[in-house]
Amino acid sequence: MTHRTKLHKEKVNWPITIILMVVAAGLILFPLYLTISIALRDPSDMVNLLAFPKKLNFSNFAEAWKMTNYPLKFRNTLFITVINLVFTIITNSAVSYAITRNYKKSKFFKGMYYYFISAMFIPFSVLMLPLVKQAALFHVDNIGGITFLYIIFGLPMNIFLYSGYIKSIPEAIDEAATIDGASPLQTFTRVIFPMLKPMTATVAILSFMWTWNDFLMPLILLSKPEQQTLQLSQYVFQGQFTTQYNLAFASYLLVILPILVVYIFCQKWIISGVVSGAVKQ
Amino acid sequence: MKVIKKAIVLCLSFTLVCSTLTGCGSKNNNNKKSNTTEKTTSAEGNSSSTEEESSLSGKIELFSTKTENSMILQTLADKYTEKNPNVTITINAPAEAKTVLTTRMTKGDMPDIIAMGGDTTYTEVQSAGMLEDLSNEGFVSNIQESYMSMVYDVNKDKEQVAYGIPYATNASGILYNEDLFAKAGVEVPTTWDEFVQVIEKLKAAGIQPFELTFADAWTCLPTWNSLAPDLAAENFNDERKAGNVSFGATAEFTELLQKYIQIMNYAQTDFMGTTYDDGNKAFANGEAAMMINGNWAISEFKKTNPDIKVNMFAFPGTNDTNKNYVTSGVDVLFTISNQSKHIDIAKDFIAFMIEQENASQYIEDQFAFSAVKGVEQSNITVAGVKADIASGKVANFPDHYYPSGFDLSAILSEFALNYMNGMADDENITATLKNCDEQYDATNVD
Amino acid sequence: MKKKKRISLTFYAMVIPMAILFFIFHTIPFLQGVFYSFTDWKGYGTWNLVGLRNYTHIFSDKNIYSSYLFTFKLAICATILVNVIGLLIASGLNAKIKCRNVLKAIYFIPYMLGTLIISFVFKFVFSNILPMVGEQLGIEALRLNILGTNQAWIGVLFVTVWQSLAFNVLIYLAGLQTVDQDIYEAANLDGAVGFKRFMKITFPLIAPFFTINMVLSARGYLMAFDQVMAMTDGGPGTLTTTISVLIYKKGFSGGQFAYQSANAVMMFVVIVVISIIQLKVLDKREETING
Repeated sequence: MTHRTKLHKEKVNWPITIILMVVAAGLILFPLYLTISIALRDPSDMVNLLAFPKKLNFSNFAEAWKMTNYPLKFRNTLFITVINLVFTIITNSAVSYAITRNYKKSKFFKGMYYYFISAMFIPFSVLMLPLVKQAALFHVDNIGGITFLYIIFGLPMNIFLYSGYIKSIPEAIDEAATIDGASPLQTFTRVIFPMLKPMTATVAILSFMWTWNDFLMPLILLSKPEQQTLQLSQYVFQGQFTTQYNLAFASYLLVILPILVVYIFCQKWIISGVVSGAVKQ
Repeated sequence: MKVIKKAIVLCLSFTLVCSTLTGCGSKNNNNKKSNTTEKTTSAEGNSSSTEEESSLSGKIELFSTKTENSMILQTLADKYTEKNPNVTITINAPAEAKTVLTTRMTKGDMPDIIAMGGDTTYTEVQSAGMLEDLSNEGFVSNIQESYMSMVYDVNKDKEQVAYGIPYATNASGILYNEDLFAKAGVEVPTTWDEFVQVIEKLKAAGIQPFELTFADAWTCLPTWNSLAPDLAAENFNDERKAGNVSFGATAEFTELLQKYIQIMNYAQTDFMGTTYDDGNKAFANGEAAMMINGNWAISEFKKTNPDIKVNMFAFPGTNDTNKNYVTSGVDVLFTISNQSKHIDIAKDFIAFMIEQENASQYIEDQFAFSAVKGVEQSNITVAGVKADIASGKVANFPDHYYPSGFDLSAILSEFALNYMNGMADDENITATLKNCDEQYDATNVD
Repeated sequence: MKKKKRISLTFYAMVIPMAILFFIFHTIPFLQGVFYSFTDWKGYGTWNLVGLRNYTHIFSDKNIYSSYLFTFKLAICATILVNVIGLLIASGLNAKIKCRNVLKAIYFIPYMLGTLIISFVFKFVFSNILPMVGEQLGIEALRLNILGTNQAWIGVLFVTVWQSLAFNVLIYLAGLQTVDQDIYEAANLDGAVGFKRFMKITFPLIAPFFTINMVLSARGYLMAFDQVMAMTDGGPGTLTTTISVLIYKKGFSGGQFAYQSANAVMMFVVIVVISIIQLKVLDKREETING
């Protein structure tokens, strides 16, 4: 960057700046504005939707909160997301480490690597029908169970992500730790895992996004109302909202607000995390 | 050194994050715990004072395939749990309810009580042997025999066993706005020719004759369901199943689709893009004179416009007034899963629902008709079809007899789309009927 | 250090439990699905083996045929659009502009929001807001809800692109930032500017990022589900029914559990073939471009 500014005192490219701003405002911020403004409107104020609401009506949120039983759905979703996040990072990184380090030494680990990676080719829709049976058989068709399934189903992608990164860490570091008397487990937890930080960030963001926004897996596995996630409950309540769009939009906002808040505070970290995961391969 | 330092920092931050998270988690748990204990104590408090009233306790799930009735079911369930404080009833009325129900069937995780229509979904669940036999329950005798036999009819082998208790029945036909009819100076038509005149007069008076809502594909069905029994031979469904006749070679179905096109000629411009909810709202606000749908839509109109003067009449599909039936079938059928842990509560709840007072409350809210003896719908909004229903001039929904994989609504939605695209009517009708036959045969193979 | 060292048991302990769980909940269901595809099972009750009947039936089924057609149309158009628009926006963000970080943050917002919610919002935009605007401004084309017409797929495509664009923009941006400015300096002297400069210099340099985007995006679009369920429910007719939606809707209801299992196996084969072709072709491209 410094290199660039030193070389050419480029002028600010105003045309491009303006085009980008207009596109961003029209295509991204405007739909968001619409969502917020409809959620805040009084039902009687639904004629000119593009204008600013006449009066801000926060009761839509209260009603949507009550109608969809938001606190319960939020708790369910938060449980799934957080537990999945923690266990995905711990288990999937360990599996990736063990596989990557022994990939060349052992047929078993090489086989494991190909086993997991090839599973990336199996789309979820292919598993959907039989999984419903299997999940019912093992009683994992509930909040706890679906969290467990997310951890398992994330393995192929996360091994793919982690292993590429682990390969770039010289094995000499492991050996040095071993000479210092560290067991393989200690080597992993104290030396390697901390070094995986950038990739862990990527895995964390991707798992978080996946579980918070997933609709298909809750749809087929979680059928009881008290087990619904936020996304699923939006779908389920479509029939009950009917033309009470203010209520529906307030409810949508309640679902996306937590994630927007997280995004606003961790925006730089999230953006760089996503990119490094995809690019460092 | 640097590595170790980094490691320590990360570990620390990790534990910090973890502890905050678990902190949040345990806080939530505590809240939850205290909440539940509060609830149980209050319930205990109640039960000690009302112990003589009920000894039933447990948690049951009531699954409804209609989102329209979830509110009234909730109201009645609350009334029930007030009397039975140790019982909790959860109402579950999801979108795409039939798919959700069959998914749960596959999982072997059936809701305790399932309220569904007397249609192919019922046949599917019943034939899978998942329903409790209710024939010996006392309340069966409170149900009108004609509706009981409608249920026997959709049992897999037409056996005379009550796996389901018909509760509410519906009427499908034409819903019309009385004020707009008066404004255009037209009377309720009883024959197809009169009907066409009414439509013309409405149009001439500057009133939109029909509000169609084909963005929700199922709303393509009522027109077909009303016309088919009027036009087609009575034994068509059985003959079609046996493969002796086809849709394409039966002239009445060509006539049916010709009439269907005439209806679409007089609908609002964007009828393919209007959703059921938006259409109901538009109709309630007086934007169109008629909708082709059932009594279940009335409660939706009233939500938008409580003062709307709406009534119903039988779809005049032919010029022979004796053949213009009201389409009526079992709309809500209570069934109990034989895997339920609380069959006793489920039965008790159904008995409660069938009590005169509660059955009346249900049909008043839903503008439906009751299958319970002695419970009559007295609301004037459905007065136009009441006589036909009382005298039995009704035909069941033909699609209740089609195989469950046969998605007629998608076929009709395609038919309407072809019409919108300007396809020649003859070509469209031939293609649609051919499509019907192909898809019907395809489901019969599986 | 000895070359052949015994592998510590710890490593086995790290992998084996997860591998077993993965086998039970991922591999077994997959194999079960393959098995069901040779039966006439409805998902409950009794069943018989029927050999290849389900597979032969697939080839004459209009619904399956149209769902593949639509899914491919969606996937191809979305992949092209996302890559073209993504590259344009990324190039813009990489130029010398004001408020780069704010703009970058805004362009990434859609990626954070769930497809389902976005689809509900746009369903309302298409069915209520655009027709209203069309009415007020007298624009005939806007008066119809696009989701109820032949062009319904464009509505689905729009939402798909809107939501997934952000990710591609970021990848391209990362790619563009690896390109050394000195190369542009040299190119400017050679008279390579604008589009020519992009095709001759920039694009070859970011080819690996193009590969990533092509592979990642195409696979996701072939599995489109949420947006269709939320916006059109597969209609009008069966115009916007994707393969995943068809498997879900017909597999669980309509007694087609086994039949749709066969469809799922077909889908698996198709995806494997596409992924392999993609990787082969794109790898070669990259080699020729860089070589």
